[in-house]
Amino acid sequence: MMKQTFFVIVGLFFSAFIISTKLFTVPEHWPKPVYDFTKNQLTENKILLGRVLFYEPALSRNNIISCASCHSPFSAFTHIDHALSHGINDSIGNRNSPALMNLAWEKSFMWDGAVNNLDMQPLSPISNMAEMGSSIKSVVEKLNASKMYRRLFYNAFEDSLATGEKTLKALSQFLLTLVSANSKYDSAMNHETNFTAQEENGYKLFQKNCSSCHKEPLFTTNDFANNGLSLDPFLKDIGRTKITLNSDDSFKFKIPTLRNIEYTYPYMHDGRFKRLAEVINHYTNDIHSSSTLATQLREPILLSSNEKVDIIAFLLTLSDKSFVFNKNFQYPKEVFFQ
Amino acid sequence: MKVKLLFIFYFLLGVNLFAQQIATTKIIFNPVFNSVPIIIENKSYRLNQNDSIIFETLRFYVSDFQLLKNGTVVFTEPNSFHLIDSDDKNSLQFLLSKKMNIECDEVRFNLGIDSITNVSGAMGGDLDPTKGMYWTWQSGYINLMLEGRSKLCTSRNNEFQFHLGGYQFPYNAIQQIDLKLKTSETIEINFDLKKFFDSIKLAEQNHVMSPNEQAIIFSKSIAKCFYINQ
Repeated sequence: MMKQTFFVIVGLFFSAFIISTKLFTVPEHWPKPVYDFTKNQLTENKILLGRVLFYEPALSRNNIISCASCHSPFSAFTHIDHALSHGINDSIGNRNSPALMNLAWEKSFMWDGAVNNLDMQPLSPISNMAEMGSSIKSVVEKLNASKMYRRLFYNAFEDSLATGEKTLKALSQFLLTLVSANSKYDSAMNHETNFTAQEENGYKLFQKNCSSCHKEPLFTTNDFANNGLSLDPFLKDIGRTKITLNSDDSFKFKIPTLRNIEYTYPYMHDGRFKRLAEVINHYTNDIHSSSTLATQLREPILLSSNEKVDIIAFLLTLSDKSFVFNKNFQYPKEVFFQ
Repeated sequence: MKVKLLFIFYFLLGVNLFAQQIATTKIIFNPVFNSVPIIIENKSYRLNQNDSIIFETLRFYVSDFQLLKNGTVVFTEPNSFHLIDSDDKNSLQFLLSKKMNIECDEVRFNLGIDSITNVSGAMGGDLDPTKGMYWTWQSGYINLMLEGRSKLCTSRNNEFQFHLGGYQFPYNAIQQIDLKLKTSETIEINFDLKKFFDSIKLAEQNHVMSPNEQAIIFSKSIAKCFYINQ
């Protein structure tokens, strides 16, 4: 009897383990995720609900804008070609929409770290008048009026009633699955493939000049830094100071990941650079000095034009095609059109 | 017959034990202005000789309820978060369920939500963000929302709006409130906002909407408005 119980327990443990590793895997040599999965354990049905919500235009006041409007899978979940994203009634926001990936490792969200937990992140675009212009209360009312969502909520939570908590947790579940760790860079690190000589040289230059902020393997420290951009006279964006009210944080913005950077143009918090070459030139030639400038940028970064090209060649090895074309992340047409 | 009697005996014993297990203390909040109950929208209250005030919203979180005896905590309510809305009679009272009857002479609670809860992701019940007490432009619960009108305010429509909150140093707005008790069965907590409005200059101070120094000063002042009739 004891033996049987033991095997059942061990079996349950392993089956739970297999399910959880299938839904979310920490890539080898990566740090422990920041997100507390114990408070929101992943299940297939909850992830699916989150995915449907992500593509749901009813999240916006006029039922036109979904999360995916500004976070499209084919651009690693950002809004390509748009320096600043636009929301309902063609209103223009004041920042470049960030690419969404590896969110389980992020300590805070938004360019200024205004949001402290992935669960709470959707509240911001849902409520922002230049984005979805709605409210979580109104979203939940719409979901509860929909037969399709009552079924999806029932499948996910064994209760068809939508609440703010369940809606946000389901969205988190889908967002947590957006893990990008299958680029050429990753294969090279696992010795499954080799960099070209140019990529290899670019990698060395990257490690010397860029990696203290864009730290491997996530290609960000998730900290905030002033990277020497001049103030946009129209936007007058002071960055993190808006949140902390501390002048030491002036012009500091979240250090973005560089994974999939090929797909996520334009660049910087206000999308001021269209091409990677412009980004590199900013760091070598155009640093705007101020009291909060990152210490790493106080000494000039010297790169020849060949070296710049090599760095870009390396950056392109961070593209993860299996991520942007992952069918589990795409529009769930089987749910919307059944 | 004997068996029957024994059964009745055990039944009564069980009821008795059960009754002890669900001993409750009723908490009642009375939001008032100068001792007059606050009614939303429909009533105007005299601020001073010349000016009056109308309330449109009065909602606040009380959390972490504890009962004390001689300065020692004798009861802590688990998962203790309550949203009080002066426009929703049902929210003005709730029960503390205790394992047994405990003697106490003091009640302690927080006005607002603690910082750990503020960083712990999506919550349900009274903490569900659909309750409208969570900021959207940045993370954090609004501890207290107080809105209304007074001719004193030079703002648009003579409105005042106080959304007090903040969980991060140095703008942590939560306030601990300790009140001495006479009886422990029903605890009636009065919340007289006259004291707060007497402490501010409404003409100039009619708008606090984010965690900052003003929010802390106002939160401290509002925390002094809670009292129990002795």
